[in-house]
Amino acid sequence: MDFTLNDEQQLLVDNVRELMQRENWEAYFAECDRTHTYPERWVKALCDLGFDLIMLPEEHGGLNLGLVTLTAVYEELGRWGAPTYVLYQLPCFDTILREGTQEQIDKVLDYVGTGKQIWNSACTEPGAGSDVGSLQTTYTRRDGKIYLNGHKTFITSSAHVPFLVVMARSAEDPGCFTEFFLDMSLPGVRVEPLDKLGLRMDSCSDVYLENVELSESDIFGREGNGFSRGVKDFDFERFLVAASDYGVALSAFEDAARYANVRVQFGKPIGRFQLNQLKFAEMAIKVNAMKNMVYEAAWSYDTGEMTSAQAAMCKYYCVNAAFAVVDDAMQVMGGVSVAGDHRIQRIWRDLRVDRISGGTDEMMILTLAKGVLRQYAN
Amino acid sequence: MRIIACFKAAPDDSDITVGADRTLDVSRAQPKIGSYDLNAIEAARQLADQVGGEVIGISLGGAALDNSKLRKDALSRGLDSLVAVAGDPDADSFQTATALAAAIGELGGCDLVLLGAGSSDRYAQQVGNQLGALLGLPTLNQVNQITPDGDGLRVLRLLENAEQVLGVTLPAVLSVTSGINTPRIAGMKDILAAGKKPVTDTVSALPPASSRTASVLAPEQVDRRHVLVEADPEDAARQLAQFLKTL
Repeated sequence: MDFTLNDEQQLLVDNVRELMQRENWEAYFAECDRTHTYPERWVKALCDLGFDLIMLPEEHGGLNLGLVTLTAVYEELGRWGAPTYVLYQLPCFDTILREGTQEQIDKVLDYVGTGKQIWNSACTEPGAGSDVGSLQTTYTRRDGKIYLNGHKTFITSSAHVPFLVVMARSAEDPGCFTEFFLDMSLPGVRVEPLDKLGLRMDSCSDVYLENVELSESDIFGREGNGFSRGVKDFDFERFLVAASDYGVALSAFEDAARYANVRVQFGKPIGRFQLNQLKFAEMAIKVNAMKNMVYEAAWSYDTGEMTSAQAAMCKYYCVNAAFAVVDDAMQVMGGVSVAGDHRIQRIWRDLRVDRISGGTDEMMILTLAKGVLRQYAN
Repeated sequence: MRIIACFKAAPDDSDITVGADRTLDVSRAQPKIGSYDLNAIEAARQLADQVGGEVIGISLGGAALDNSKLRKDALSRGLDSLVAVAGDPDADSFQTATALAAAIGELGGCDLVLLGAGSSDRYAQQVGNQLGALLGLPTLNQVNQITPDGDGLRVLRLLENAEQVLGVTLPAVLSVTSGINTPRIAGMKDILAAGKKPVTDTVSALPPASSRTASVLAPEQVDRRHVLVEADPEDAARQLAQFLKTL
């Protein structure tokens, strides 16, 4: 297996690096994080380089360069401490193109290149977190229309996306789960943003649906197929979380290593103390393991072989390894990491959220274990 | 308009290491388009887009010019085609200007030649003027703005304490400043298209070197003096000024 990037991939990574070098994006990120603002100017700059075309098929104007290419870009952006978590939906055209009607596809593709948030999916409810199947949002037909009622919570990006794919169950047939392509400007849709510990540059909201009137053309995918569709696309999101967390761990690791080489205590750089050297050895192992894991998974995806267990393994390992790396990096950097305005604080907060969002650690373990045991069932 | 943009493949300065004896180790440095040359390429692209025409890149170099990534990088940043002139990578300014003049002659001439302020490794700032002299064309440096003006150009030069605006007849040779524009960062579509653009490889016989490099050393490092000025702002400024005069 050879993960050497070709000329074009290297140039894309080089150019992403050039973009990050051209201005003090960290100050922008810090301000966006403080004010809970989506960093649209930065995302637009990435889209100008073709970021949102990487996974888009050529017949839709994209470049179809594959997940290894996207991973290399995530790695470089992460190295700069960039909030790659706000980018999760931009490469996710596969779901829309596979399940959407032509009208829904056109509405989403209209936003390509703009840097704006486009869509997200809404499953979670106050009583339905990891247990998605217990959701209570319902749809019912009346006078040729469909009416949605329910309460979604912790819905990422929902404060700014124009469209939300909402999962609901039939009021008449509770075992029938269906998704709807919801225009967020419709009457009856109310969004109440939530405050949260990390990932602050992407909104997270309660979404209340009160008799939201839809038509049959607003069904997303096939009626009754909502549950399996939603669960299927978790894998890609979980991979992106892993790639994002590996990237920012790299940033913290490199920051700490540079710091340990110049910070002098007791007459020598603190990197020469063996307790710190143990941390750097363990951090290096984790960073390298994360790198190999995400690139292998990306390669598997590009060759059509990424499994749910592999995506779960990636997310579980990378989220926890990244958190451990960043925590060790903070310990090395001491007061600088907690009292000032160093980016490592932001990254530490963001990573803690990732152990919960996009599938908890515990759910990743269950998915991974099931996959492993299924492999040896016969 | 046929515009030539000249550039040099120089070692990436972020990969250059300095030895204890101040010598520079470039063995691990990847070749990269000179940062000042990017301004020339960008200016050429902008002008061609404005008035119509093509932009041809020309570079003289050694093995670095064989690097396919570097070629695609140059072509992705606005060139329509590239002429790679194989020659001594350590060619001096006059040798470089001579090789570029020969390559331009082989192309059958052009309307405009643009160069950066200087190469990013040696920064001698000589090639543009020498190339203009060899071609026998109007030649200007320090050009900070280029505007189409009838059959010619109107250019603004940045001088020490003044700005000079001149009308220039074509063909001409102009060396642009690093402030004339912000070079584009090529997008993925440009990168992919670069591999399909034409590249011509040629060889140039160089004249004897007109200069000799005695040594290339990093500046001598000076230890920090840790001088602290503790006073009110007015007094601190006075003390700082006095200190600076002693240097």
